[in-house]
Amino acid sequence: MTAAVDAQPAQRRASFSRIGWVGVGIVGTVVAFAAGAPLLTPYRPTAPSGAPLAPPGGEHSLGTNAVGQDIASQLLAGAQVSLLIAVIAGGGSLVIGAAVGVVAGWRGGHTDAVLMRVVDLLLATPRLPLLIVVGAYVGASLWAVAAVIAVTSWPPGARVVRSQVLSLRGRTHLRATVGFGAGTWHTLRRHIVPEVGLILIAGLVSAAGRAVMIEAGLSFLGLGDPSRTSWGAMIRDAIDFGGLLYTDAWSWWLLPPVLAITVLLLGFTFAGLGLEEAVNPALRRHRAVPA
Amino acid sequence: MHAPKALESRHALDEWSGAGNPAYRDPLVGSVPFRARRRAAWRTALWSVLQYLVTLLCLVTVVFLLPRVMPGDPLSALQDPESGLFFADEQARQEVLAYYGLDRPLPVQYIDYVTGVVQGDLGWSISRNQPVSTLIAQHLPWTLLLMGLALGLASVFSFVAGVAAAWWRGGLRDRVLVSSLTGLQSVPEYALAAAFLLLFGVLFPIFPLYGARTMFVEYGSWLDATGDVLAHLVLPLAALTLSLLGAKFLLVRNSVLSALGTEYMMLARAKGLPERLLKYRHAGRNALLPFLTVLGIQAAFAVGGSIFVEAVFAYPGMGTLVLDAVEARDYPVLEAVFLTLAATVLTINLLIELLYARLDPRVGAE
Repeated sequence: MTAAVDAQPAQRRASFSRIGWVGVGIVGTVVAFAAGAPLLTPYRPTAPSGAPLAPPGGEHSLGTNAVGQDIASQLLAGAQVSLLIAVIAGGGSLVIGAAVGVVAGWRGGHTDAVLMRVVDLLLATPRLPLLIVVGAYVGASLWAVAAVIAVTSWPPGARVVRSQVLSLRGRTHLRATVGFGAGTWHTLRRHIVPEVGLILIAGLVSAAGRAVMIEAGLSFLGLGDPSRTSWGAMIRDAIDFGGLLYTDAWSWWLLPPVLAITVLLLGFTFAGLGLEEAVNPALRRHRAVPA
Repeated sequence: MHAPKALESRHALDEWSGAGNPAYRDPLVGSVPFRARRRAAWRTALWSVLQYLVTLLCLVTVVFLLPRVMPGDPLSALQDPESGLFFADEQARQEVLAYYGLDRPLPVQYIDYVTGVVQGDLGWSISRNQPVSTLIAQHLPWTLLLMGLALGLASVFSFVAGVAAAWWRGGLRDRVLVSSLTGLQSVPEYALAAAFLLLFGVLFPIFPLYGARTMFVEYGSWLDATGDVLAHLVLPLAALTLSLLGAKFLLVRNSVLSALGTEYMMLARAKGLPERLLKYRHAGRNALLPFLTVLGIQAAFAVGGSIFVEAVFAYPGMGTLVLDAVEARDYPVLEAVFLTLAATVLTINLLIELLYARLDPRVGAE
């Protein structure tokens, strides 16, 4: 495909590209592993279950860390945490963002102005330091972490939804609907939500990816749920271990969580790219990677 | 605030001479009386500064309210001998309580707090038992050094790479650049830094892995000192730079792509200009203004990224300070880190906005 500059006729049919399917495949694999965790490993991720720093093979298929915890069960537990966060925090931020966006776009006027100032304020604030200070106060259960992530990461979604609603609001069929006396709730449910629905799904995937990245980062910094094993916390523990680089332990202790988080995030990115292109065919013109 | 589209051109000649190019000065703009433009520019600048100050005040307010509205707040735990957070150290406890001024009404506390912050009083560190501002002064320079260099390097690399990719659009080199840099964007900074740690700690042990200076060393000359600091900077800087490349690269590539089809590019080509000039002076220039905007957005990411990277390489900047403070639940330090970093990012963005008004003749012209 050399069609980067020359305009080609936009394909009307919403199609899902190959890269999108790769992403869905990756995320699906992680979901399968997380769901099958009890069948795949007999050990508890938080309890010591063998000799410290045992290399992979034998009773511990992926080895153990410095306190003798089974790496395989830790990886699977980490997958569960990441996916839970993806659903709870990603979904939560999307719900808040969509609600704010719809209200701002539909009501307009002062409501819109105030809400958009809040969005600007949150977007101007560097997110990680904000998350650290709020996270330190709120506490470290999985739910609290998810809530903090959701509450600080909704503004981009709100902006997108607002601009969609603004452009919908002026269209004839919506003016007619309101003219016929339809209530706000009815209009929102029957006309607005179906129209922005596809964009919401694309938004959900990227919000989920961001949430996973942030959760791993927070638990890397020591702000995660201490009763669960997260990939971020695994990376932290491995790096904190003084002798990590003097033995081969890095290859089964540090490398697997690093690869796991990277691959899962790539999966979300690919799925998001595929969805975005399916929703917005205009994007296809500027890409270099063939679909 | 910024004019969304290029001003309409009056002459057919403009079309040929580059009215579509945002860096091009439209004759219309030049015809607006000089003093009126000056006044408009001042008004824009003043408005930006005002917004900046209000935003800062909002953040200070949030930090003021956080410990006072959170359930099971740490402040009451500090005074409760039963709790784990209780300060055995009498001086430290008095300092902390006096700092928060909990015996006085809320508005008084607020005004005291804001005045204190403005005067550089950021509180008392619970775990280190010294003023937070001292800690910040020790750690912030290292973070600024790391962040500033990374933003600069990433800007240069992503600009060159973006122009090159657009130039070779659709080709193999373009595809490799786009997919690798897009992929890189979804690798978290701590994973990237950990990969560097492994790569250079295990396979190629040529750079120091921890800290910012060799410990217990007396330098012979300032040259030795600089060399040592630079050697320690290599790995954190490389990790942070790589994590910042993707966003700007895609932006530059897209702006250059949209410039390539324009008529002023055709004219420049027809004039027989050398390729380097076509690439950077004509096509690349289009990307400069959006590039600045993204640089501002990226400052916020660079702050987060450097916290992670420093945590991995034990670099003595704000990242290590955060790590220790999180472990000790040292709230005043965490609050101060947040305020300092937010102020840094906001200041960078204010400067960019002011610069933008100077670079883009359309801002403040109407």
